[in-house]
Amino acid sequence: MKKKHMRSAAIAAIGVVASLVLAGCSVPQQGGGGKAGGDTSADAKMPSQVTMVVPFAAGGGTDTWARFIAPYLQQTVEGSPKIVVENVEGGESITGANQFVTSGGTDGKQLLVTSGSTYLPALLNRKEVKYDFTKLIPLMVNGTGGAVYVSPKTGIKKASDLAGYDKTLVYGGISATGNDLVTLLAMDVLGIPIKATFGFEGRGPARLALERGEINLDYQTTSAYISQVEPMVEEGKATPLFSFGVPENGKIVRDPALPDLPTLEEVYQNINGSEPSGTAYDAYRAFLTAGYFYQKGLWANEGTPDSIVNAWRDAATTLSKDATFNEKAKDALGGYPLISGAEAKDDLKQAFSIKDEVRQYTLDLLKDKYDVTLETK
Amino acid sequence: MDAALSALGSFLDPTMFIYLGIGVIAGLIVGVIPGLGGTAAVAILLPFIFVLDPHPAMALIIGAVAVVHHSDAIASILMGIPGSSSAAVLLLDGHEMAKQGKGAKALSLAFMSSMAGGLIGAIGLTVSIPLARPLVLLFGSPEIFMLTVLGISLTALLSKGNLLKGLIAGAFGVLLGQVGAAPASPDYRFNFGQLWLSNGIDLVAVALAIFGLAEVIHLVAAKTAVANVTTLGTGWLDGVKEFFPNFIHVLRGALIGMWAGVLPGVGATAGTWMAYGQAQATAKGESKKKFGKGDPRGVIAPESAANSVEAGDLIPTLLFGIPGGAPSALLLGALLIFGIEPGPRIITDHLDTIYVIIWSFAIASIVGSLLCFVIAKPLSKLSFVRFPLLAAGLIPILFMAGFQGSLQLQILPLMLVIGVVGWLMKVFDFPRAPFLIGFVLSIPLERYYYLTDNLYSFSEWALRPGVLIMAAILVLPLVLAGIRMIRARRRPQPVVDEIPEDDDEATSELGPRKWSIFVSGGFFVIFVFAFILAQQFALAARLLPNVITIIGALLSLASFIIEWRKFRKEGPASEESTHKWRHLLRITGMSTLWLLTFVVLTFVFGLIIATAIYIPLFLWIVAKPKRWWTLMTYPLVIIAALLLAQQFAGLTMPVGYINFGI
Repeated sequence: MKKKHMRSAAIAAIGVVASLVLAGCSVPQQGGGGKAGGDTSADAKMPSQVTMVVPFAAGGGTDTWARFIAPYLQQTVEGSPKIVVENVEGGESITGANQFVTSGGTDGKQLLVTSGSTYLPALLNRKEVKYDFTKLIPLMVNGTGGAVYVSPKTGIKKASDLAGYDKTLVYGGISATGNDLVTLLAMDVLGIPIKATFGFEGRGPARLALERGEINLDYQTTSAYISQVEPMVEEGKATPLFSFGVPENGKIVRDPALPDLPTLEEVYQNINGSEPSGTAYDAYRAFLTAGYFYQKGLWANEGTPDSIVNAWRDAATTLSKDATFNEKAKDALGGYPLISGAEAKDDLKQAFSIKDEVRQYTLDLLKDKYDVTLETK
Repeated sequence: MDAALSALGSFLDPTMFIYLGIGVIAGLIVGVIPGLGGTAAVAILLPFIFVLDPHPAMALIIGAVAVVHHSDAIASILMGIPGSSSAAVLLLDGHEMAKQGKGAKALSLAFMSSMAGGLIGAIGLTVSIPLARPLVLLFGSPEIFMLTVLGISLTALLSKGNLLKGLIAGAFGVLLGQVGAAPASPDYRFNFGQLWLSNGIDLVAVALAIFGLAEVIHLVAAKTAVANVTTLGTGWLDGVKEFFPNFIHVLRGALIGMWAGVLPGVGATAGTWMAYGQAQATAKGESKKKFGKGDPRGVIAPESAANSVEAGDLIPTLLFGIPGGAPSALLLGALLIFGIEPGPRIITDHLDTIYVIIWSFAIASIVGSLLCFVIAKPLSKLSFVRFPLLAAGLIPILFMAGFQGSLQLQILPLMLVIGVVGWLMKVFDFPRAPFLIGFVLSIPLERYYYLTDNLYSFSEWALRPGVLIMAAILVLPLVLAGIRMIRARRRPQPVVDEIPEDDDEATSELGPRKWSIFVSGGFFVIFVFAFILAQQFALAARLLPNVITIIGALLSLASFIIEWRKFRKEGPASEESTHKWRHLLRITGMSTLWLLTFVVLTFVFGLIIATAIYIPLFLWIVAKPKRWWTLMTYPLVIIAALLLAQQFAGLTMPVGYINFGI
């Protein structure tokens, strides 16, 4: 009797293990109710429920952005679908974005929310990335800005002191392949040597490290700059260098949110007497455009019907002209306008069609100066 | 002062109080469910935040955040299943008290401490907001690095009697914490090409598996109830009475928790264990030995810490805009939406909001504790139910909760493996506390080591006063132990037997020596294998894995040799004990198979359908309930709860190959 028991248990065990091995080979895809399929004809109707896939954790910056904007879109977009926000976090947002392109479908039931850390791995051509922003369809984008500053202990009291500055600045970053890269490329354009230490948990802890004197070069995005760094500047504990600016007709002009700060281009002109150009500057501009000017975005998969794409783009245009929305959005979106994908698509396409030599320049810079080697496709 | 009073006045407005109450109830419910904590509470409340005015929204969030750690004590104490990763510490003494029939006393102690911790936290918040900025700035990378070292070593050192096994468990925890993205270089470590592992293994899944699933495996096999007595024993009032003489432990626990909340990268789980560690380390003489055997101080210190952590966490959130966890990140997001920018100016510009937050915290702590007393009474009967009956519902809930962090189905088989490891550790007397602390502090340890090493020279950081103080705390017990040993040698005494005391986790049956050798050997193999894998990482990603695998390999080799020698000395085990062990292995094997069955069912049908099939099957074959209709009602209740959670609490249920759309 006992032996029989043992045998049946053993058989059960083998069966179960075998099925688990099978399961290990391909795992059922999680998240999102809508699988591929549905109505994809050119004049398809808006689905009754739309899931905004946020590849970041709940409560973070991108999640807050999506949840803020969702109710306004629900009211504005044609067909008034119920909008649900779903977080698929992990892998510096690569996991969620990969999942979106492989199983998000083209019927508009799922849309992808992106941020700088979704874009940069694609620009760097990282091995893990399965998505391609030259193929995905932008519905709407929303930029941000930022500013670079130093500790006055460096001896730099104003931006023009950078001319002929020959000491090494100490920079604190999160990861060389995230938004820190834009600042690294900016300092590379200016030709200022920096020693960078990565591993900070976020921009906040890095700013504290500057206040403690552990580092002396830092950047913050606009809202954090205004609330956290400006009081430091008033107390003489920080020296602003430049802002990243905003794009206007292909040129970069001063950021209206930080009107007193010169742009990097102004600082360069001031020091070198000419406008910045060359591969280093091209690399800076490519990563700046993706990482800042169009940082937050809402995207649909390639092949989504035009009727649905246009409905979202029109909603963005309507919202960007809506006074009550803009009033509320001043704090949540940092004062940067919501731009329809129709308007931004050419710029975005250009930014993501990065030239091989520019990409290689960036990869080489990471490798040679910061000892960071990336696995690329 | 005016601002404080006017903020208090705003609670006279019933709508404010209602929102606070809703938050408290959401927090309590989420806290009761094993594995769900602040993050899940946040998910429930998120949709409401953006449509409310600032002050009610603050009351709602704070109401939930302040009480999550009140009710998560219930599952830990009564069932031995961690209510959250930070409440796992209550398994040591709180659960032990429940086993002795003092469940009611343990719970009332926990609730009283929670309330006190919350109130002390609120007071601390009020006092420290003007002072916190320079204090936080004083604490640089070297100090945080030393604190993480101290945290890991303290818990390992406190596993008296089996220091070696404690250290091995700690090293194993650190190693498991290394899975995923490296903090200082863009490398993915030990992820075996799986992108879903690149964020690391979720803490909740690990804590639930190593303690919770291990307990399920153990108790289903034993087929008994959790408590081995049949009355609630000493009553609720006893706990309240016992609470006041121990107020010094409440205060110390709360202060430690608060500081753990203030510092980046430390957090609630490490905070509660550190509070427990200090209570044990500072206990005098004989009373020290009571820890782990149902000492009330082992409940009081961590519970008051758990609640003040959340208050401490608000300081960097409000003053620097740096949230310590998901709840405070949500608070930060909500503040930004309302145009309230955290930062140095918040004290002058938005003092009223700060006081609303502080008062919400204090009021929620009191209301939450009172409600806990109400709900705990019916729930406490659970510890008298035969465990297999509980397990039928617990198994789906544990896997569901572990799934929420990563939302990847592969986490389920991984949890099962960690659960089996947890059972082995339990049976072979490897303390799991250092394991969990090592896991939690692994990345902070590495991160702050890198920052320290890169930003300071050795002589610069090693001589900072804070670093020296913590080094002294670390070395002092060793020196004292050394002196004691030398003294003992001078005055020859009868040799103390070296058999490890059964301290941290009371185990009824120890495995045989032969298996003990296998387990130590198994750890050795894991460390060596990990060392080999680590050699392909970039330099900056390799250092800590190298250090920890070498230490771990040496320690487990030593343990292997010691066990081997003991085996040689003892000779082969007796016929009877071998037979007993075989029997134990067979029945735990069966309970593991049952867990595996659930995982497979979930892979095929998704969690909801799997639950519908599994619970009746498990009840019918294993639990054998007295009344037949339990087979029907039990699964219906659990599935209804899961569906409600999916619909209204924003929880995601795993989907299988065959998708039924639920």
